[in-house]
Amino acid sequence: MKNIIIGVLALQGAYIEHVNFLNTCIADGDYGINGFDITVIEVRTSKELQKCNALVIPGGESTSMSLIARRVGIFDDLIAFVHDKNKVIWGTCAGLIFLAKKIDNVDHNADILDTLKLVDVSILRNAFGRQSQSFIKSCDFSSFINDCDDYETVFIRAPVINKILDPGTVKILYSLEYEKESGEVDNLIVAAKQNDNVLITSFHPELSDDFRFHKYFIEDFVLK
Amino acid sequence: MSDFKIKSGFAQMLKGGVIMDVVTPEQAIIAEKAGACAVMALEKIPADMRKTGSVCRMSDPKMIKEIMESVTIPVMAKVRIGHFVEAQILETLEVDCIDESEVLTPADWTHHIDKKKFKTLFVCGAKNLGEALRRINEGAAMIRTKGEAGTGDVSEAVKHINQITREIESLKDLSTSELEIRAAEYRVPVDLLKEVASKRCLPVVNFAAGGVATPADAALLMQLGCDGVFVGSGIFKSSNPEKLAKAIVEATTNYNDPQKLLEVSKDLGDLMPGISIGSIPTKPGHSSDNNKRLSEIGW
Repeated sequence: MKNIIIGVLALQGAYIEHVNFLNTCIADGDYGINGFDITVIEVRTSKELQKCNALVIPGGESTSMSLIARRVGIFDDLIAFVHDKNKVIWGTCAGLIFLAKKIDNVDHNADILDTLKLVDVSILRNAFGRQSQSFIKSCDFSSFINDCDDYETVFIRAPVINKILDPGTVKILYSLEYEKESGEVDNLIVAAKQNDNVLITSFHPELSDDFRFHKYFIEDFVLK
Repeated sequence: MSDFKIKSGFAQMLKGGVIMDVVTPEQAIIAEKAGACAVMALEKIPADMRKTGSVCRMSDPKMIKEIMESVTIPVMAKVRIGHFVEAQILETLEVDCIDESEVLTPADWTHHIDKKKFKTLFVCGAKNLGEALRRINEGAAMIRTKGEAGTGDVSEAVKHINQITREIESLKDLSTSELEIRAAEYRVPVDLLKEVASKRCLPVVNFAAGGVATPADAALLMQLGCDGVFVGSGIFKSSNPEKLAKAIVEATTNYNDPQKLLEVSKDLGDLMPGISIGSIPTKPGHSSDNNKRLSEIGW
């Protein structure tokens, strides 16, 4: 039996939701048949981090998460962990911001929002605006998740991927057609992967009543 | 999935975080740099409202807007209980969350705002399960304990979270007909109560508020089961707000680690002097007397 530990970074934000979703997928997935024993743990310390094979960085407030990571002394170990090519990483919303190499609209708080600089993308924070512009949209993810053509996708003060800095390693998984107030339609990158071990999504699969995205992460990333 | 998910999901992102009362853009920046996950924009903090005895209303939207422009974290603002026009104004201003708050003078002593009519989410105070569920039934997407704002005395917030926890716990042995009786008593639909009974928690995020003044207070409320903490007067009424704000954020993250709590509790300077709850008379209902318990406002 191969033991695999998936950590969920539990400094601030919606981490319990990820823990619960992953546990539901594991209970449902019968991975033991294929020789995998998967456990999910909450990660607050470097010691907990070192146990993990994979790490999920949840949604929350990206400035809070970054500052708290520094203050609890886990920041440098997080950098080393996520840059290890043998580890599997997934960031959702604030987690995506925290993993991005560059933030295009940092303005005044460049000094407080340090990122782990893993994914070769530049992003826009709060790309759709304030909470009043948050929305839910049904998306067709069947190009990368089998038969998943009706996924209810939740965007809350969401960032988007503004530019892919290294097209050799980063592949777009999904672009959202978004109609701006002017009526112009933009194609905004909201899901991507870097190599075969890093997944980033600007939305919140942990808020959908749908486990398929977490199952995709386990089967196409963690167990690959 | 409903629009409610967009509202309740926003509150879920704040969990494990600290929301700080601020009266100027400078204070908002201090809060953001300390690691606050949101700020509450106010003209006066509750400790100062207590002293005035005058009618307390929604803050000047110009001042709220300045705070919104000074930080990237979400900005909340308060409206009077039942004042749905103040809420319409704040929704138009695009604040991220509206607090229908007992800290301000109520505009309607019979009805709370019909929060389902708004696209903006609301947070409301509660001191027991019935009150929390009535607010959720009206459309609130986030609950906080009422505590006793502006006092620096944490005991009321402790009382309210314990009350809510105890009442949720008491649902587990109730039969369907007993749940129906309880729902009628609470004046909420039985399905909502059944959901709470089966999940054994509120269907929305529940923060602590009212009287939090120290890192230990924040950790206490987290250990009692709150999802996060509002800090009002405590921070900017202390002698070193930057240091205290950071310490409260750290205590909220490490609420179960006494070693970390010891470190962040040291050398914080003069804390808010406060008013003990015992010195404030109980005087429910409509009163212009400033010397009263705010948690008794709202129903």
